[in-house]
Order: sequence, then C-alpha cells, then structure tokens
Amino acid sequence: MIDPSKPDLEESVNVTEAHERVVRGAAAASRESKLKENGAEPISLWVLILCAVPLLAAGWTLGKAGTLFSYKDITREDYVRVIPSDGESAKLPPTDYLTASIKKGQKIFAKCAGCHGADGKGDGANYPPLAGSEFVNGPHERFAMVILNGLTGPTSSGKTFGVMPSQAAGLNGEDLSHVMNYVRHSFGNSAADVVTKQMGTAALEISGKRAKAGASVTADELNADHKKNLPGDPIDPKMMVDPITLEPAEAK
Amino acid sequence: MSAASSQTSDAIRRAEIDRSLRHPVMFFFTSGAAWLAVAILLGIISSAKTHSPDFLSGCAFLTYGRVQPAHMNALIYGWGCQAAFGSLVWLMARLSRQECRAAGLILTAGHVWNFSLALGIIGILSGNSTGIPWMEMPKFAWVPMLLAYAAIAIWSMVQFKVRPSGHVFISQWYILAALIWFPWVFATAHIFVHGFSGSPLMAAAINAWYRSALLFLFFLPAGIAAAYYLIPKVTGRPVYSYTLSLLGFWSLAIIAPWAGMQKLAGAPIPNFLPYLGAAATILVAIPCIAVAVNLLKTAAGAPETVVNSPSLRFTVAGLFGLLVTGFAATFLNVPSFLPLSQFSLSQYGFDVLALYGFFSFVAFGMIYFVVPRVTRREWLSSRLIKMHFFLSIYGVMTIALVAIFGGLMQGQAQEDFKQPWENAMTYANPYAVATTLSWCLLLFSNVWFFVHLALMWLRLGRRSSHPTLLGHAHHDDLHDATHGPEGDIDNGGPGSASAAHAHSH
Repeated sequence: MIDPSKPDLEESVNVTEAHERVVRGAAAASRESKLKENGAEPISLWVLILCAVPLLAAGWTLGKAGTLFSYKDITREDYVRVIPSDGESAKLPPTDYLTASIKKGQKIFAKCAGCHGADGKGDGANYPPLAGSEFVNGPHERFAMVILNGLTGPTSSGKTFGVMPSQAAGLNGEDLSHVMNYVRHSFGNSAADVVTKQMGTAALEISGKRAKAGASVTADELNADHKKNLPGDPIDPKMMVDPITLEPAEAK
Repeated sequence: MSAASSQTSDAIRRAEIDRSLRHPVMFFFTSGAAWLAVAILLGIISSAKTHSPDFLSGCAFLTYGRVQPAHMNALIYGWGCQAAFGSLVWLMARLSRQECRAAGLILTAGHVWNFSLALGIIGILSGNSTGIPWMEMPKFAWVPMLLAYAAIAIWSMVQFKVRPSGHVFISQWYILAALIWFPWVFATAHIFVHGFSGSPLMAAAINAWYRSALLFLFFLPAGIAAAYYLIPKVTGRPVYSYTLSLLGFWSLAIIAPWAGMQKLAGAPIPNFLPYLGAAATILVAIPCIAVAVNLLKTAAGAPETVVNSPSLRFTVAGLFGLLVTGFAATFLNVPSFLPLSQFSLSQYGFDVLALYGFFSFVAFGMIYFVVPRVTRREWLSSRLIKMHFFLSIYGVMTIALVAIFGGLMQGQAQEDFKQPWENAMTYANPYAVATTLSWCLLLFSNVWFFVHLALMWLRLGRRSSHPTLLGHAHHDDLHDATHGPEGDIDNGGPGSASAAHAHSH
C-alpha cells in the first residue's frame, strides 16, 4: 500500500519499474501522435507562410488599383511613364534668345518663302533677293515698314522688281520681330542686333501713323522717314530663355 | 477470387485500356513532338530576328511578324494541346478503369485538329494572320478545332460518368477541370473576338484574358493532373497531403479565371480590370505552391526512384518549374514591375516558363511513362532520354531567366524616355542572343526526342519487361544492367503478359 502523501519515502516503490512505465507510456503516446493516415499530413507552417507572400503582393497590387469597381477611373495616373521629380521633363532645355527667336521666325517665314524662296535669294526677275539687301540688313525700322506695308518701285539695290503686297494681316509685333530676326540672321545676312517683341509692337504703331497709311512704301519714303532703328530697349542676344515662352530661364 | 487472380485480372484490364487507346495516344504524342520541333525551329528564327534583323530577311513569309505568331501557335496548339489531349485521354481511361470505345473517333478528331492547325499555321506564314495574339490563325481554323476538341473530350467525360463508384482521384479533378475549362475559354474568346463585332478594345481585353486563361485553366490543370498521377504511381507512395491538394485545386479554380487583364494596364479600360488581373495572377502562385510542395514532398520520400525513372525526373523538374512560374507570376505583376514587364521580353519569358518549364516537362514525363505501356515496348536508349532531359533543363532555364530578367532591363530602358529608343533594344540584345542559343539546344534535344518516339511507335523499342532506368552514366556495367534482360515483352506487371495475350486472341 502506497501512501500518496509521501511516495518517495516508500521502500516498496520500485523507481526503475515506475520509470519504465512512464517511458513506455510516452513512447506509446508519441507513436500515437505521429500516427497519421496516408495522405493526411497537415499543411505545414512554412507552406502557409510561403502562400502568404503572394497574398501580400496581391494586396499591394489591389491597393494600387484606386477605386475598385469604378468605371470612372480609366487609367491610373502616371502609369505610362515615371515623371522625374525635378520637373525637367516639362520644359525643353533653355537656349539663347536669338536662337529661339530665329527658330520661331523660320516657321513664319514659310509664307515669305513662296516668293523670296526658302533660301531667300528670290528669282532675280519678279522677286528680289533678301540676302545682302540693305533694307533687310540696315536700320530695322525700314525693314519692318516693307514687311507691314509692302513696297513699290526700286529696292535698295536700285533695281525694280514686282510690287510687294503688305504682309501685315495676322502679323503681331512678336511674330514680326521673330521673322525679322530670322531673315536678318540667315541666307548669309548677319545683322549685329536683335529685334525684340517690344520693337515689333512699336513697328505696328509707326506703320499705322504713316502719312500715307495703307499704301505701299517706296524707297524714297523709307530713306526719308524710316532710316532708323525701331524704338525699344535692346536685348542681349545671348540671354538664356525658355524656347517656347521666350521668358528668361536659368541655364542648367 | 484469390488475391493473385484479382491482381492478374487487374493487369489484364490495364493492358486492355492501354491497347484500346494505343493509336490516338501515340498519334497525339508523336504529332505533338513533331509540332514541337517545328515550333522550336520557328522560335529560333523569330528570336534570331530580334538581334540580327537581316537574318533570312529575303523571305516575306519568314518575317518576324509572321514567324513569331507561327512559333507560339505551333507551340501551344501543335505541341501543348496535343500532348495534353494524349495524356488526358489516357489518364481518364486508366483512372476510370474503362476501355476507350471511341478510339477511331478520337484519332479522326486528332487528324482534323492537326489539319486545321497546319492550315492555320500556313495561313499565318502566308500573311493572313488575324494579328490577335494566340488567336492569329485565320478564322477558318478555330471552328473545326473546337469540334475536334469536343469529339476528343466527350468520351473521357463519359468514362468518368460510368466509372466504378468510389474514390475520385485528385488527377481526375484536374482532368475534368481541364476538359471543361478548355472549351469554355477557347470558345468564349474566339466567339467574342471573331464572332461579334464589338469594341476592338474589349476584344483586346478578352484576348488578354484568353492568353492567361489558356495557361492557367488548361495547361496548368492538364500538367497537374499528369503530375498527380505519375508521382504517387511511380514512387509507390500516397500523396503527401490531401488538405494541400484541396487547397491547390480550389484556389486554382477560384483565382485563375480572374487573371490576365493586367496585360492591358494603362489601356483605356476601367482601371480595376488590369489591377484585379494582376492581383489574381499573383495569387495563382498559391495553387502553384500547394501543388508543387505537395508533390515534391511525395517524391522526396523516394529519392532513388526520382533519379532513376525518366518519368519522375521530368515530372519533378516540371514541378520545380511550377514553383518558379508561381514566383515569376508574383514578381512580374507587383505594381513596381508591371510597367516594365508589359511591353518587353518578360511576358514571353513567363509564357515559355509556364508552357515549357512546367507543362512540357510534365508532358515529357507522361510520354516516357505512357508510351512503353501502350506500345508494349521499352525505350531504346536511356542516353537519349538523359540528353533530352539535360538539354531541356538548360535550355528552358536560360530562356525563362533571360527573357524575364532581360525583359525587365528592357522595360527599364524603355521607361527612361530621356534616352533614345535604341538603348532599350541594345539592353535586350545579349538576352535575345542567349534566347536563340537556348532554342537551338532545345531543338537539338527535341528532334532526337521525336525520332526516339517515332521509333517506339514503329514498335522498334526494346522488347523488355524492365523499365528504362537512368542509372549513373559513369557505371558502364550499370548502363546495361538498367535495361534488364531482352526478349521479355511483358510490360503489364507480373503474370499479365500471357493472360493478356490469351484474352486478346
């Protein structure tokens, strides 16, 4: 008979035997817990963790989808390309004022190229050359008057070509300045200064206040009244500007 | 009935099933292997053109815009579908324990499929492609293909219906799923894209869904069905975990139909469609993991068998391919990589990975298992099998790695719009060269595979009851020993040959 209150002191308890019983029981229990039916292995933790990776990734993707099930949102903003944060992509690199103005003037000159030729040489019979012309290269008010009013009679070379009609229709001061800059710096011409937007606007005013407003100018009138530069502040042709707006821009 | 006689009658039944399906199954496997060689040849040409545009530039029908779709169509419908049909038909008959009573119909349907496909590929090469990815074959091809499919599949469904009641094998779930999903996916896409004149944008979206659904809802279950059959069968071990197989099947069935539209991310379709598609494609990793882990654990119990059995080697390699496919699906579709993978090599790399790295490997395993049983001959040469195995492994690993990572490099370069466009092509160039070289490796190995298979169909295989085993090559004596003695044509298991013969006469 074992006294449960003091089992360890009982001589009658065979410790070895008790141990063996425990070990046998443990072995049986461990066999039991390992005993599994074929094909009934539980899903192990690492497989579940592995499956959690695509779950997280899918959640990330869905999170980027914006408003789910909304037919209003057609594409996610900025999907197609990554816009750099410096904002550089929005603007073209700055160039100097003269280059930018010439580039704009070249497009406007397309109208003039019909008679004077894309190379500015004219045809020698009806259309005078712009290359080397004194009216073109000299003081620029004369040149502006020719463009805005047209010209009859002899040109600066003294030779008489056909009548040049007025080109003022649809031409504003800014465009006038660009096309003048283009002609004065192309076809071998190289004027020293640039015509600014302010000067072009002034040319429109002067043209409107002429005594014989609306009629073509003649060489005599040009040399008498307009042999001077247009009024306005000169500009540094090397000043860096935005090629679209022609506003001053910092060089990178 | 004694245990021995029931075993014998079992073997007779298996042999009868195998014999009933000999011609259709061998037809699908052999013509599939021939199409595979054609597809790879076209793949070499199209890949070579990405880095050497002047290569074969004299022939109009070999320009990139024709060869690339011809390559994919031959790979998908020539090799992939026919290998899948062969193994699905055979597996369903074996697992339902029913002889096939419509072998002639299936064989005829197989010829119709092949003929329409050949006309379709010629149509693509002659410049009559529809220009819709994976559906490039001219419109006359797909209706006969769908009808042929119906004739091929219907008897397998009947066999399943009349099977002896009881346990439904895991393979049968997947076979049935593949058999049902294929016509759904194929018909839906073709009818909506070719049949109705809807919005071309929606046609593009349906096409994007179709490409992913064909991979995830047909090739994936077809390959998984074969793997779930082969691995327990050859190792003699039960599937590791039934719970995992349930998880794998139902997660695939629920997730995969949503995938695919991420190919149109950034296109003017509702924003949630591409992102839902991307998320679903990522989640396809879960069935991939569940299936691959389950079967690799099963195979891990018999490592010796895996090394020695050609079927198991290919199948186990394919399961690793399945894991990599799941990883790539996750990796390529997270938001940071989505814009990079969309218009680059990586989409192609992913398709090749799923189609070749997983499905084709399992299909090769299936062919190495089935052909000796239906022809009652053993494979001629274990060396050819080993060569096929290693060259395929190296080839497909290079293509998948190179196309996926090279594609990301290319995508990165495309995004950098301050650089000229040529930069992106320059980045992709070395990867394209590597792709061409790997297709060359694959062509070499698969031409020999086709020859080997054709010799088996001519019944020139070894007359041996011992399976072809892949011992270690440096043991010269073992190489012979692995074949076993010649002259015994019994493949159906112990005691079955004479019984089967007696029965058939």
